[in-house]
Amino acid sequence: MRKTSILILSLIFIILCYLTFISAKKVFRSDWQLPQAIDHRQEQHRLVLITQDMETPFWDKVGKGARKQAKKDGISLEVWGIYGNNQEDFLKKIEIAIHSKVDGIIIQGLDTAEFKELTRIKASFYGIPIITVANDVPMKESLRRTYVGSDQYLAGKMIAQQLLTDVGSEGTAVLMYDSHQVYYQTERLRGIQTVLKDYPNVKIINAETTDTREQIMAATRDVLNRTPNVNAFIVVNANAAGAMAQEIRKRYQAEHYHLYTFDDGPESLTLLKQGRLDAMIEQSPEKMGEISVELIGEWLSGDTVPLNIDGYFTDIKIVKAEDAL
Amino acid sequence: MISIQKKILILTTVVLFIMSVIWIGLTIYNHQTQQQYNKILQRYLSINEVTSASQHVITDLNNYMLMPSAKNLDSLNQSKEEIQTAKRGVYALRNVENNFTLTNYLNLIDSLIETSNRLLLFYSEKDTEASVKEFSEAMRISSYISEMSLTLIDTDLKSYDRFYRGIIEQSGEVMKLGIWLLLLITFLLLLVTYRMSLSITKPVFKLTQAANELSKGRFDLQINVGTNDEIAFLARTFDRMRININNLILEIKQKAQLERELQQNKLLLQESQFRSLQSQINPHFLFNTLNTLSKKAYLEGSEETSDLLVNVAGLLRYNLKRIDRSVTLVEEVEVLRKYMDIQKARFTDRLLFFMEVDESCLHVKIPALTLQPIIENAVIHAIEPQPDGGVIWIRIIDGNEQIRIEIEDNGVGMAEDTIKQILEEKFIQTEGHSTGIGFSNVVKRLRFFYDYVNVIDIVSKEGHGTKVIINIPRKSEKAC
Repeated sequence: MRKTSILILSLIFIILCYLTFISAKKVFRSDWQLPQAIDHRQEQHRLVLITQDMETPFWDKVGKGARKQAKKDGISLEVWGIYGNNQEDFLKKIEIAIHSKVDGIIIQGLDTAEFKELTRIKASFYGIPIITVANDVPMKESLRRTYVGSDQYLAGKMIAQQLLTDVGSEGTAVLMYDSHQVYYQTERLRGIQTVLKDYPNVKIINAETTDTREQIMAATRDVLNRTPNVNAFIVVNANAAGAMAQEIRKRYQAEHYHLYTFDDGPESLTLLKQGRLDAMIEQSPEKMGEISVELIGEWLSGDTVPLNIDGYFTDIKIVKAEDAL
Repeated sequence: MISIQKKILILTTVVLFIMSVIWIGLTIYNHQTQQQYNKILQRYLSINEVTSASQHVITDLNNYMLMPSAKNLDSLNQSKEEIQTAKRGVYALRNVENNFTLTNYLNLIDSLIETSNRLLLFYSEKDTEASVKEFSEAMRISSYISEMSLTLIDTDLKSYDRFYRGIIEQSGEVMKLGIWLLLLITFLLLLVTYRMSLSITKPVFKLTQAANELSKGRFDLQINVGTNDEIAFLARTFDRMRININNLILEIKQKAQLERELQQNKLLLQESQFRSLQSQINPHFLFNTLNTLSKKAYLEGSEETSDLLVNVAGLLRYNLKRIDRSVTLVEEVEVLRKYMDIQKARFTDRLLFFMEVDESCLHVKIPALTLQPIIENAVIHAIEPQPDGGVIWIRIIDGNEQIRIEIEDNGVGMAEDTIKQILEEKFIQTEGHSTGIGFSNVVKRLRFFYDYVNVIDIVSKEGHGTKVIINIPRKSEKAC
C-alpha cells in the first residue's frame, strides 16, 4: 500500500516535472529567425528590373537570369512588375524607381509617350541608366543606354519562313498585332513582310487588336467572318495568342489553321504544349536577364562605356509543336 | 537537533525562494517580451512617422504656395526637419529582407526634400508653372512614400511573421507553464507539509500513548521517539521520569516488605516473652519442691524417681531461661537427653531412642528450644498413638558446607498438606506441647535466625514415618 502510493506520487512528480520542463523550454527558447539587421548602407549597386507581365513563364525566366547574374556580380536587384498590362501602374513603378535613385533600371520597353517622357527626361535628370530588355523602344525616343533581347526583325523573318514551309507559297495569312504600333511588333511585322513580299501568292491580312480579351476575340471573329479561307495566323502580339486560340477553337473543333506566335505571351508555352500552336519563336529570356544585369554592371563600374546603342541580341529559335511534345 | 521551528523556517525559506525565483523569472521574461513589443511597435511607429511627416511637408508646401508668409515658411522648414528626424529613425530598421526597399524609401524621402527645395527655388523665381509641376511631383512622391511605407510594413509583417506567431504561441505557453508550475509546487508543498506535520504529530501521538500507559500504571514500557526535535527531548525527559517513578515504587514495595517482616518478628517475640513470664510464676518454689521430692524419693529408695525429678527440674530451668537467646548445640543436645529420659520413663519399652552425635559439630549456635519441640512432636505423633511404640533417631552429621541434624521416626507420617502448611509457617497447633512452642514457631525462628529459607525440610510418607532435616550453614559459626 505504502509502496504503491510512493510509486504513484513519484510518478505524478516526474510527470509534472516533465511537463513543466517542456513548457519552460518552449517559453524561454528564442530561436526565432529574425532577419539579420544591417547597420549601415552597403555600397552595392541597386538595380530594378521592371516588367509588365509578372509571373509569366517568359518574364519569370528573365527575372531568374537577372537575379543569378546580380548575385554573381554582387549587385542588389529587385524585380518589380505589374499584372495584366496596367500601364499606369507600370509608369508609376518607373517613377518610383527613379525617385528612389536606383543605380540602374532594366525595363521592358513600352512604346508610349509617357514611357518615353519618363525615360528621356526624368531618368536622365536623375542620371539613371536605362536598359530595355526583350521589348525595345528606339534609342532616339527613349535615350536608353542599350537593348538586350532578341532581334525582332530576325524573329519576324524566321516565323515567316516557317509559315512558308508549312503553308507553301500560296495561301492567306492573318497577321494580328497591337493597334498601338509598338516598336518591337513593328520590327517583327517588318521582318515578316520582308520575307512574304517575295511571295505574292501569299495574301496578307492585317488585323489590329487592342488589349482586352473580348476585343481580341471580337477581332478574331471579324477576320474569320470576312475571310473564311484563312490558312494561317501569325500572332505578333503574343499576349493575344491565348484569346485567339480560344476563339478559333470555338468555331472549329478540328485543327484547321496554322497558328504561329512568340514566346513572350503568358499562354504561349501552354498552347504549344497542347498542340494548338504550330510553331513559336523561342527567345532566351534567362540570357536576356543575365546580359542586361552584366552590361549595366559594366557600365556602372565604367568598364564598357558607352554600350552598344544597337543593342545586344540573344538567341532565338523556332520551336515546333511536335518538338515541344 | 533539528527543532520544529527550524523545520518551519527552512520550509518557509525554501518556498519563498522558489516563489522569488519564479517571480524574477517571470519579471525578466515580461521585461524581454515588453522590449520586443516595444521594438516592433517602434518599427511601425517610425515608418508611420515618415508617412505623416511627408504629408506635413506637402500640407506646408501647399500652405506656403497659397500664402508665402514667413510663418508658413517656418512651419515648412520645421516639417522638413521633422522628416529628416523621421528618416534617421528609419535607418535603424534596415535588415536583410528590406534592405533594397529601405534604401529606396530613404532615397524617396531625399527626393521629396529635393523636390520641395526645387519648388521653393522656382517659386522664389516666380516660375509658377515649374513650381506647380514640382508640387504635383512632390505630392506624387509623398504618395509613393505612403505606399512604400505600407510595403515596408508588409515586408516586416512577412519577415517577422514567424516571430510574431512565436510570441503569440509563447504567451499561451506562459499560461501553461504557470499552471504546470503551480501544480508542481502545490504538489511538492503538500507532500513536504504532510511529511513535516507527520514528523511533528507522530512523536506527540507516541508521547500521548506513553502517557496513557503510564496513567494506567504500566511503568515498564520504554518511550521511544525516533525524531530529533523538541518532542524527542520531551519524550526523553518523560522516559526518565518513568524510570524514576518505577524505581521509587520498587523501593517502597521493598520497604513495605521489610516492615511487615519486622512486625511479625516483634509479635513472635512478644508471644515468647508472654509465655515465659507465664511460666516464671514461681520457679524457685517449683525447683525447690522438685529437688525436695527428688531427695525424698532417693531417701525412700526410689532412685529412679529421684533422677526423673532432677531431669524435670533441669528441663524446666532450661525452658524458662533460654527461650529468647541462642545456645550452643551442646546445651540443646543435653536438654534433649533429659527430655528423652523423662519420656523413656513414661513409655518404657515402647520408646526406642537412638542418638548419633558428631562431637565436632556441637559448638554451633542454634536458637534455644528448637530441637525439643520437634522431638516432642515426633513422640506425640509416632509413639503415643501406637500400642507397639516406635523408634526415634537423632543424627548430628558433619556435612562439608553445613551441619545436618536429622530427626527421624517411624510413626504414621504426615500428610503432604500438613508438611506444606508447616513449611509455609501456617500450621495451627491443635495438640498442646509441654513447652508451649509449636512446630511453626520453630520453623519461623530457625529461618529468622539463619536468614535462610531452606534451613528446615520435612520428608514424610504416610504410614512410614517422618524425617525432619535441619541444615545449619557453617558460616553461622563465626557470625553468631
